[in-house]
Amino acid sequence: MFELILQALYSGLLTGASYALIALGLALVFGTMKIINLAHGELVLLAAYIAYMTESWMKINPVFAIPIALVVVCLTSVIVYFLVSRIEKDRELNSLILTYGIGIILTNAVLLLWKADIHSTGNAWFQQPLVLGSLYSMNSEVIFSVVSVVLMVCVWWWLSRSWYGRAVRAVSSNRDAAKLMGVNPQWTELISFIVAGVLASFAGVAIYSSGVIQPAMGGSLTVKAFIITVLAGAGSIPGVLLGAILLGVAESLTITLYSSALQELTGMLLFLLVLFVLPNGLFGARGRRG
Amino acid sequence: MKMRALMLVIPIAALYLLVPLLFRSNLYLMSLMVASLTIGGVALAWALLGNLGGMVSFGHAAFFGVGSYVSALLTMKLGLPVLPAMLLGGLGAALASLAMLPALRLKGPYFALAILAYAQIFRILATEFRGITGGAGGLSSIPALPQIFGFDFGSKVGGYVVILTMVITFVFIYYLIRKSYYGLALKAMHESEDATRVVGVNSTLLKALMLCVSAFMTGMIGAFNAHYINFLEPDYAFGASWTVVPIIAAIFGGYRTILGPLVGAIGVYMIDQLIFKNMLPTGHEIILGAMLVGMIIFSPTGLVPLISKKIRTRRFQLWSQNN
Repeated sequence: MFELILQALYSGLLTGASYALIALGLALVFGTMKIINLAHGELVLLAAYIAYMTESWMKINPVFAIPIALVVVCLTSVIVYFLVSRIEKDRELNSLILTYGIGIILTNAVLLLWKADIHSTGNAWFQQPLVLGSLYSMNSEVIFSVVSVVLMVCVWWWLSRSWYGRAVRAVSSNRDAAKLMGVNPQWTELISFIVAGVLASFAGVAIYSSGVIQPAMGGSLTVKAFIITVLAGAGSIPGVLLGAILLGVAESLTITLYSSALQELTGMLLFLLVLFVLPNGLFGARGRRG
Repeated sequence: MKMRALMLVIPIAALYLLVPLLFRSNLYLMSLMVASLTIGGVALAWALLGNLGGMVSFGHAAFFGVGSYVSALLTMKLGLPVLPAMLLGGLGAALASLAMLPALRLKGPYFALAILAYAQIFRILATEFRGITGGAGGLSSIPALPQIFGFDFGSKVGGYVVILTMVITFVFIYYLIRKSYYGLALKAMHESEDATRVVGVNSTLLKALMLCVSAFMTGMIGAFNAHYINFLEPDYAFGASWTVVPIIAAIFGGYRTILGPLVGAIGVYMIDQLIFKNMLPTGHEIILGAMLVGMIIFSPTGLVPLISKKIRTRRFQLWSQNN
């Protein structure tokens, strides 16, 4: 029993690392524009299907799909930005409905292009088990959780050290003041959407390499990312990583101790609990939602 | 005043008499009418919450599912007659909405996604409580609507009459709420919730009431649907399409009007089923999604206000020419 739980903690940790990539993209856009991009999960889905396409057509490792995914997903993300920025009134609520609609379009586009079948990678090396003591995982899971942590460190460095990263933080803390200081808010918002697209591309390839994909999963990815954003609280990258790991561990413990059918229920209950009990999230110091 | 009463009676009479007379022989068209009114009813309830309560919900499928399951189980397990069971289905959904009351503290996206989380939880519960709900296999042979005075409400025309009556009643309730003191307070809340609270309106209570009323309506329509199609399963009754299509319909028709969501539902559903579905058997929702995006960008208040504004300006032009 103890070993089972240890194994569940380990798998949860690895899953959580790839969830963190998805959530960080959502949180970044939420930070700069104060909107939830409900099509974010579908961007990840798109990247996953591009990985599937490159592998099945060109017979190459799905990792090589990353450049193509970067181009396509970032372009889509930019289109989402331009559509959202055209909203004039009631941006908070209208952007929810708008991005929800974009999500429907992307899901059905994937459905039309690649049919409703479930796919997973055929790459043998990715699926080989990697044994660490008594803990098992697939090679791909370990590789992509390392990639995920590296990417998160990069984004953290970018936000805290580079000029554009500071501009993003400036716009997210006070848009008007940032504008007066010579920061172009439109550019900054566009850049945050592009970075979200980059993160979504990596996340999509990671999901395809270590699990199964299907067209309907975009919505649940968005919900997971939002749950993590809420767990993390506002404006904390380590918070996003820890929140993601918490969600991953909670899900894998549910699967081990109860059943896989209740996996989503755990996430939802965790979400509601944090929302009601700790309105500022587990790690965020500021930002109120009530 | 007499004119207005006539304006009200004639279309309603046409809906009750003309539609069944014209389409009685075409069962497919009749069932499309029933389905579009079902969606229209949900869209109306969604818009009531959105317009009066100022809340966007992505979880109306929860109320729909709870209403349909409560009513179906009451008739099947306890042998209750269908019509009271439908009413109790609505009450069950309203009760379920009480579980969402803590979410009213949240705003904007947080509320929308918290309600989405509730909808997921209800769907999972319906799947997991196999003993009561029959689990993923679902419930079959749910009692149909009864025969009263020799008129079979279980038929297509009968179902049409029932759902039409329900929807018209809901429209009337919506109208009364909007006209009342509460409607005024809710309208003021839309402008500034803090200011409304300061003058002594219990805004949380009002929002909770709107959530309950909206849930009740949606639940009753879900109950009707269960007895109309005689079959239920969790993925169907709690399916996302019970949230998606009504939202599109309400946005399309204009969710700030009473009749907009209904007109939108009939229009969107008919066009979707008759045209898009033939063009694209799988993935025809892509067009609905595109319509939703287009509406939000070009006319977020919907088509009905847009058209009536056009007519009003046209009338004004005619009037000013005559003078």
